[in-house]
Amino acid sequence: MTAAPANDIEFRSVTKRYGTVTAVSDINLAVPKGAFVALLGPSGCGKTTCLRMIGGFEQPSEGTVLIDGREMNGVPAYRRPVNMVFQHYALFPHFDVEQNVAYGLKQARPKLAAAEISARAREALEMVRLGGFERRRIHEMSGGQQQRVALARAIVNKPSVLLLDEPLAALDKKLRTAMQIELQTLQRELGITFMLVTHDQEEALSMSDMVCVMNAGRIVQMDRPQDIYDRPADLFVADFVGKTNRISATVEPDGATLRLSNGMALAARSGLRPGAATVALRPEAIDLVRQSNGEGSPLAGIVTHRIFLGSTAEYQISVDGLGDFLVTADRRSMQEGDLVEPGERVALTFDPGKVHVFPA
Amino acid sequence: MTKWYRENAPISAQNLTDEWMRLKRGSVTRRHFLGVTGLGLAAAVLARQPGLFNSAAYAEDLGTTMSLATWPNYHDPATFEAFTAATGVAVEVNVFGSNEEMLAKLQAGGTGWDLFVPTNYTISTYVKLGLIAPLELAKVPAFSQATESARFTTEGAIDGTTYALPKNWGTTGMAVNTSKIKTKLTSWKDFFEVAMTEADGRAMVHDYQLTTIGSALVSLGYSFNSIKPEELAKAEELLIKVKPHLYGINSDYQPGMRATDAWMTMCWTNDGAQLNRDMPEVAYILGADGGEIWTDFYAIPKSAANKPAGYALLDYLMTPENAVKEHIANGAPTTDSRVLALLPADVTSNKIVYPDEASLTKLEFGAAVTLTDPARAELMARFKSA
Amino acid sequence: MRGAKPTGCGSPVCLTAHTLFSLLGRRECGRHRAAQKFERCRSYRKSKMKPMITDRKRHLVTAALVAPAGLWLLVFLVLPFMAMVVFSFGERAPEGGYQAAFTFAQFANLPSRAAAFWNTMMIAPVGAFLCLIVAYPVAYYLAIKSDPKYRLVLVSLVVVPFWTSLLVRTYAWMYILGSRGIPNLLGMIGIEDIRLLNTPGAVLLGIVYGYLPLMIMPIYVSLEKLDRRLLEASADLGAKPVSTFFGITLPLSLPGVMTGVALVTILLLGEYLIPQLLGGGKVFFIGNALVDLFLQSRNWPFGSAIAVTLVVVVVIVLSVAMRIAWKVSGSRQVDLV
Repeated sequence: MTAAPANDIEFRSVTKRYGTVTAVSDINLAVPKGAFVALLGPSGCGKTTCLRMIGGFEQPSEGTVLIDGREMNGVPAYRRPVNMVFQHYALFPHFDVEQNVAYGLKQARPKLAAAEISARAREALEMVRLGGFERRRIHEMSGGQQQRVALARAIVNKPSVLLLDEPLAALDKKLRTAMQIELQTLQRELGITFMLVTHDQEEALSMSDMVCVMNAGRIVQMDRPQDIYDRPADLFVADFVGKTNRISATVEPDGATLRLSNGMALAARSGLRPGAATVALRPEAIDLVRQSNGEGSPLAGIVTHRIFLGSTAEYQISVDGLGDFLVTADRRSMQEGDLVEPGERVALTFDPGKVHVFPA
Repeated sequence: MTKWYRENAPISAQNLTDEWMRLKRGSVTRRHFLGVTGLGLAAAVLARQPGLFNSAAYAEDLGTTMSLATWPNYHDPATFEAFTAATGVAVEVNVFGSNEEMLAKLQAGGTGWDLFVPTNYTISTYVKLGLIAPLELAKVPAFSQATESARFTTEGAIDGTTYALPKNWGTTGMAVNTSKIKTKLTSWKDFFEVAMTEADGRAMVHDYQLTTIGSALVSLGYSFNSIKPEELAKAEELLIKVKPHLYGINSDYQPGMRATDAWMTMCWTNDGAQLNRDMPEVAYILGADGGEIWTDFYAIPKSAANKPAGYALLDYLMTPENAVKEHIANGAPTTDSRVLALLPADVTSNKIVYPDEASLTKLEFGAAVTLTDPARAELMARFKSA
Repeated sequence: MRGAKPTGCGSPVCLTAHTLFSLLGRRECGRHRAAQKFERCRSYRKSKMKPMITDRKRHLVTAALVAPAGLWLLVFLVLPFMAMVVFSFGERAPEGGYQAAFTFAQFANLPSRAAAFWNTMMIAPVGAFLCLIVAYPVAYYLAIKSDPKYRLVLVSLVVVPFWTSLLVRTYAWMYILGSRGIPNLLGMIGIEDIRLLNTPGAVLLGIVYGYLPLMIMPIYVSLEKLDRRLLEASADLGAKPVSTFFGITLPLSLPGVMTGVALVTILLLGEYLIPQLLGGGKVFFIGNALVDLFLQSRNWPFGSAIAVTLVVVVVIVLSVAMRIAWKVSGSRQVDLV
């Protein structure tokens, strides 16, 4: 190969079946060098299978997986230039911290000098801020520390791609947030491709620069995080990534007018396919207006629940003719800077441009 | 061969079954096999001898089971089947490889034996240790002191009290598979020499101090019963030299001889006769330099759980008509002239069973002291663990 | 932690392990130690809040559950062992048996059975090791390679030989190895007069055959609970299958291996039957020496001294073996299975 391939990982029409069950169906995917990609989806969507096919623990039933431009079909895990941080870490319980990290180095042929192995293992431990823990036993380490050991162990061989399988799932929320930042920092320092599998959309959105949403064995959308959030490709993505209000509606024959099920008409962007449709609307795209004087509004309802979150508050509003709505309101944006009390009547306003319309 | 014998000989009639039973006795359930009830044969026996079970011995309540301790390949299984058919008492048979083993079990207690078969030289020790009781001869009407040969039966009585009744006498010689071993053996000296040469890896000695040490002593020109330290030391030296060449140390040598795993073994008369009957190439030879002559007795342990059954079986076995079948199956010579008279000529003329008097002159009866002598016991242990 | 319950996992092997550990003064089976500590703290805190009567009741229940086993052990293990210790300082009665005395003569006489001790101490570990060599691949196949659908059936097949007595199966080997068996077949192709029976090789064969299930089961258990992701992690880090086996699988199954080796070795130290039947009385174990002392020369005191010594040797072997296992496999996996 003369020119270095642009993509670290490539899936070409990859299908994976287990018996009669299809776990991954005809996936095409290209991950550019140095990217931080998140495979996001509900459990059973095939994201872990994809990761395991890269790692070499599964072989595709059809299609090809390429790493660094090389076909990987039939190449065993131990010959692949990728390393993985396993769910629950899979640290070797009979080794201490340094032996765990050094394990990958000890496999190198020709053999590395003991001093070099030790030095590089310690260097990797320094990178994950675990200097001084070399002689600790694994079971003496906290969950967060074990996570770092797993990271150090996976990066010590300087892989071209680091695979992370739900790496933060076992950590508590505070630690998770801290680790998210650390992982991003680490990725920038190492400059290698990170591929993260997660079912946590927040994690995917916050860490990666590319999110690949999967559902039922297929890739539904692959985009930058903000595009995934702002322009979901379909109702599944809109639903799965962030919170959303779903309203059934009809697109008028002009293809530009939406009529909600309560009769309210909306001017949407043109070119929609006429017929039944579902409208998705983010909670934070809605503004609330108190309706104490009873003035008419096309969209109004009664606040049934309020969850106070500090700078914002979440409201559940029973909208006339449309059912429950979820609204996230910035306190400062509210009239009188005050909170709306449950039981109050409110009018709901929003920018029609922020409405997503999907054919039903 | 008389017609009577042919009809009643269990061997010729049921050769296959018997072979199987012998296999069983010699091996599979050698310590615990239970006498099986065989009504068919017993019924035939009953029909022929209607008066047989009316004697005093069967007057008491005999229970349903009894236990006999004896030697491997020592009885005709049909005997017990017939006894069970006649009395309703099943006989459990335990077999042992040495008198020491029997003594050890009785000393430890709780054997449950109602009748056992000690060898002549052990009886005085059993009496001394209070392990056997004087026999109530009234309960054994079939026994006849007058027809017994005094030569073989004196050790059953101590100070005029009878403790044991003779079963049969016999010799300890060597059985040699002549199709495998071409050397003509005549003495124990030959035995140990051939064991290290032509029969290397194919010779067996007993797991029994009396005969193994005794024969080694004889081969060196000493007494079979010696307990002199310097003679025992020589015997030990010989045995330990021979040991690497042996096939096995086991008193149950018939299976090995029959399978031709072993080609030569120390052997008792009865086994010699049985082997020779089925495998004519196996010769039975008495040592010209000496060896053992012995009598096995029946005795009833003091601890017997079912003494009435013990006496009943003893009386049954003392009855000449039953004893003669036992002798034919077992192959050892009888001490009772009534039985001798009933035995067919081909048995009484068998030189294995009834050897010439001349070949017996150098043989010795075992001495009581050998049973309890710690030096012989330790010698045997050192030989086995060497 | 899979299978972690406050009172141990209850599997027979684990129970054995508990017994062994209690012999060594360790009360817990390591896999559960952490969980136990945690559970105990919790129940302790809870119990403090409850009235004392509950506590007493619980102790009574515990006592009632332990009593039958305790009584059994007392009557059939502790008391006989004490009798044996007492006997070992006595003298042989003139006609055999035991005669009260206080002498160290029996222990001083131990060197006279040095050959039997030596044989046993050599053959037992060799037999256990051969057993291990045969058992490990079987256990590995059952635990890792076999189809989970058939695993239960296959594992059951391992224990099927226990359905018949070892005596009968060993007799079967006598016929297989005897002249009418394999040597006869060899004779047909012109290899005459090969003797297999009554050789040390036959004894080792019998040992491997007889003890195989006892070796397979603990190894199977430890391999079966081995986290497969560790093997994937090893492969992921570049280890070839062989390196993974020796670097990860074997060390982590070592507790099972050590249990199997200890179990088989200990039982072999007292083995009597197999050397007697397949060794023709020529391969002499300490077990055979014991049988002879009690059943031939009727030297109970000396027999007792040997038996006591054997118990001491077994305890030493066991503690050494367990310490090695603890060391190698790391403190978290120090349970026997």
